Amino acid sequence: MTNAATSLTGTGGPDPSVPAVELAGITKRFGGIVACDQVDLTLHRGRIHGILGENGAGKSTLMKMLIGLVLPDAGAIRIDGWPRTIHDPLAAAALGISMVHQHFSLVEQLSVWENVALGEVGRLNSSGMRDRVAAISDEYGLEINPDARVGELTAGLRQRVEIIKCLRRDPHILVFDEPTSVLTPEESEQLFGTLREVVAAEGRAVVLVSHKLDEVLHATDEVTIMRQGRVVDHRPIDTADARSMARAMVGREVLLRSERAALGLTANHDASHDEADADTQRHEPTQPVSANAPVLRITDATVKGRGGTRLLDGVSLDLLSGEIVGVAGVEGNGQRTLGDLLSSLVSLDAGQVVVKDAQVAAGAPGAMAKAGVAVIPEDRHDSGVVLNMTVAENLLMVDPHRVAHRGVMNKQHMNMLANQMIEDFNIGCAGPDAPMWSLSGGNQQRVVLARELAAEPDVLVAAQPTRGLDVGAIEYMTDRLRQVAKDGVAVLLISSELDEILDLAHRVVVMYRGRIAGELSRTEANLETLGLLMGGSEA
Amino acid sequence: MKRGARASEWTALYALSIVSALALSSVIVEATGGNWWPVVEALVDGSVKAPGRWGETLGVAAPLLLVALGTVVSAKAGLINIGQEGQLLMGAAFAVYFSFRIGGPGPVNVALLLLFGALGGAVWASLAGLLRFWRGVPEVLSTLLLVFVAVQAVGYGLKQQWLLLADEASRGNRNLVSAQLPGDNRIPRPDIFGNEFPITVYVALGLALAVAYLLARTVWGFRLRMLGHNPRAAQRAGVSSTIFGATALAIGGAFAGLAGAAMFAGGGFAFGNYRLVPGFSDNIGWTGLLVALMARERALAAVVAAFVFAGLRTGSGFVNSTGVESRITDVVQGLLVLALLVPPAVVFLLDRRRARAAATERV
Repeated sequence: MTNAATSLTGTGGPDPSVPAVELAGITKRFGGIVACDQVDLTLHRGRIHGILGENGAGKSTLMKMLIGLVLPDAGAIRIDGWPRTIHDPLAAAALGISMVHQHFSLVEQLSVWENVALGEVGRLNSSGMRDRVAAISDEYGLEINPDARVGELTAGLRQRVEIIKCLRRDPHILVFDEPTSVLTPEESEQLFGTLREVVAAEGRAVVLVSHKLDEVLHATDEVTIMRQGRVVDHRPIDTADARSMARAMVGREVLLRSERAALGLTANHDASHDEADADTQRHEPTQPVSANAPVLRITDATVKGRGGTRLLDGVSLDLLSGEIVGVAGVEGNGQRTLGDLLSSLVSLDAGQVVVKDAQVAAGAPGAMAKAGVAVIPEDRHDSGVVLNMTVAENLLMVDPHRVAHRGVMNKQHMNMLANQMIEDFNIGCAGPDAPMWSLSGGNQQRVVLARELAAEPDVLVAAQPTRGLDVGAIEYMTDRLRQVAKDGVAVLLISSELDEILDLAHRVVVMYRGRIAGELSRTEANLETLGLLMGGSEA
Repeated sequence: MKRGARASEWTALYALSIVSALALSSVIVEATGGNWWPVVEALVDGSVKAPGRWGETLGVAAPLLLVALGTVVSAKAGLINIGQEGQLLMGAAFAVYFSFRIGGPGPVNVALLLLFGALGGAVWASLAGLLRFWRGVPEVLSTLLLVFVAVQAVGYGLKQQWLLLADEASRGNRNLVSAQLPGDNRIPRPDIFGNEFPITVYVALGLALAVAYLLARTVWGFRLRMLGHNPRAAQRAGVSSTIFGATALAIGGAFAGLAGAAMFAGGGFAFGNYRLVPGFSDNIGWTGLLVALMARERALAAVVAAFVFAGLRTGSGFVNSTGVESRITDVVQGLLVLALLVPPAVVFLLDRRRARAAATERV
């Protein structure tokens, strides 16, 4: 092991007793917000260190300082015992620090080895690079074909390419930022296997950033828990348990099922407790007014992308009023296109969408909204809000005529309505005239929710509705969705968080490569059956 | 809605950049053997101080403002129209054609002539709109390239007597010139305190208010801004990028065309003296674009910016009489233009950095 470590670190074999990384008293402020407050963190070679925290706890900021994307305001960074200042990612790379980001940065048109070679300077040695990729993939059991086109790979394989990109530079400190968000449960398993057996054994220091307890318990050696920019707990993993970790992370006892779902707690832990809880907490309207005619009926929807790839391939789906249908699947299997279709953002190459017995012209501006389809989009900055407009304007985007008389908007009326919604939905902002960009992610999401529900829709599409939100906001969103369904709205919940789907949905469909790979009732659906369908195997 | 930049910041930025430009200019003028102070005096005299000059400046400011207003409308929809010079020329040509081939005498014709000019500009800009929304050609390219087509097309028109060329009797020994607009078809130029300027100045001011109101207060303006800021959110909310975008481009062209017609019928020796001649547009289209840039896409700010740019133009006319070589005074003028445009650019960059910081803050 020492052998491997010295050969790989390449910096002349540092003393293994010295920690690979020591962060001492790291503080970072953004405006009035303290993102990191006196954070200490020590990473050792050969160990996997979990960093656990809610969204906004400061994990990402801390890692960004380690790889040079953000400069700390105070505190010291020591690498192998030497004090260092990391000005930019290049400096970090020179020190052997490398990060696998949550979002991939791959060129889909290029092959695997070409992607790995990107960023190389000097002449391109294609056979050498191909061999190198093959060697790394052998060494670490990251099986991949160097000549495969990245665009054709699954998310799990793409992540492998990212990992190979990282490993090629022989980093001795490896950071994984929420690596499982795009993986099936099985792929996550494999990833953790690789981390533990090979990377850690070679004496690299590995950081696993996560907000899922389950994952951290399972895959790490020690854990640091952050809350509101501070380190609240640090312990070896064998002295940690899910319950106490959850308490440390959230700052109070975790009670609600939705919260535990958000933390990934429902899967393997507290199973018995869970079941009991589920019965009392879930509204479980297993047969929600099935006599009703479908409110939303999608028939054979096909959408072709550039180059003729089928983003949606003959999708048919009915939604009854009052039911929540979960759309599960690994990201990138057509869920986004489905959301776009129901947001009037793409038109159909074949098939049709019918809302309440009337066909809707897909892709015509505003047609879906007018027909009664409300949307909480996957990426609210993409089509949900206009950051450069005010909160009031965002609240009235879809239907400005509500406050207009002969085409002229009444500012007073507008602010009155906006204030009402701000109050009803508890939107934290400086007032109706506050620019949208000044709001936190959770509050921006509430603006979207308030606006969409104000239109009294028949269908609500919620795409990844809790992504990037903290536990409190998740709880709020989940409750709202349940309430909306109870009030008779048909809810389509598109989510890559299985726990969220299992928590909310009455019925689950799984998308795979633009098709609906299977449909399960809530009773049939569990992590295993869903996982199989998500991975493309027939259930 | 302003992003952080405060009045004090603006003042400081403008002071700094104008003082730097003046200092640099003085060094250049003195180093090339000229005298600096007379240049400054000439600038002030020529733009506002000498008798009748502020009226002249207002006369230049009006078309600049009109062009800038159109630019603001297009830009709010997220479209970059940089072909105002050509749209303006087309507007002028349409106005000329109307005056001599269609219209008759009298004040009603003055109004119609202006409308025809606006139509000309709109038609020309709509060519770019057509290309943009039918075939996906970027409007920034097509509007620009159409400027050169417009110059050639108007040049052709000025050679054809059935189009724009004046008949032999009224053109004398000149070629490529339209007939002179008769007195009763001209825009009135009342005399105020010894300054005279066409009443289109008031029209331009009124339109500035109208544009500001339209953009800020109406549903139409609201949707236009939505489209400019986030086309996908706008599409989902029912704003058709084709309809709104093409309309915004046409309006941008209409304003430039109106400016061209107003220059033709408004007089002032700078603008061809009621005749359409080659080079008639005289950079008013380009400069109007700079006015919109300085005003940062705000209609009311464009009023001030238009006057400043007009003053620079009329003032520079006087600088030529100071004996400083004209190439040097061109450099001085260029530096001053730059000084006016640097602060908005700096604020833009600062804003973007702040926005980015605000965004990462919440990641």
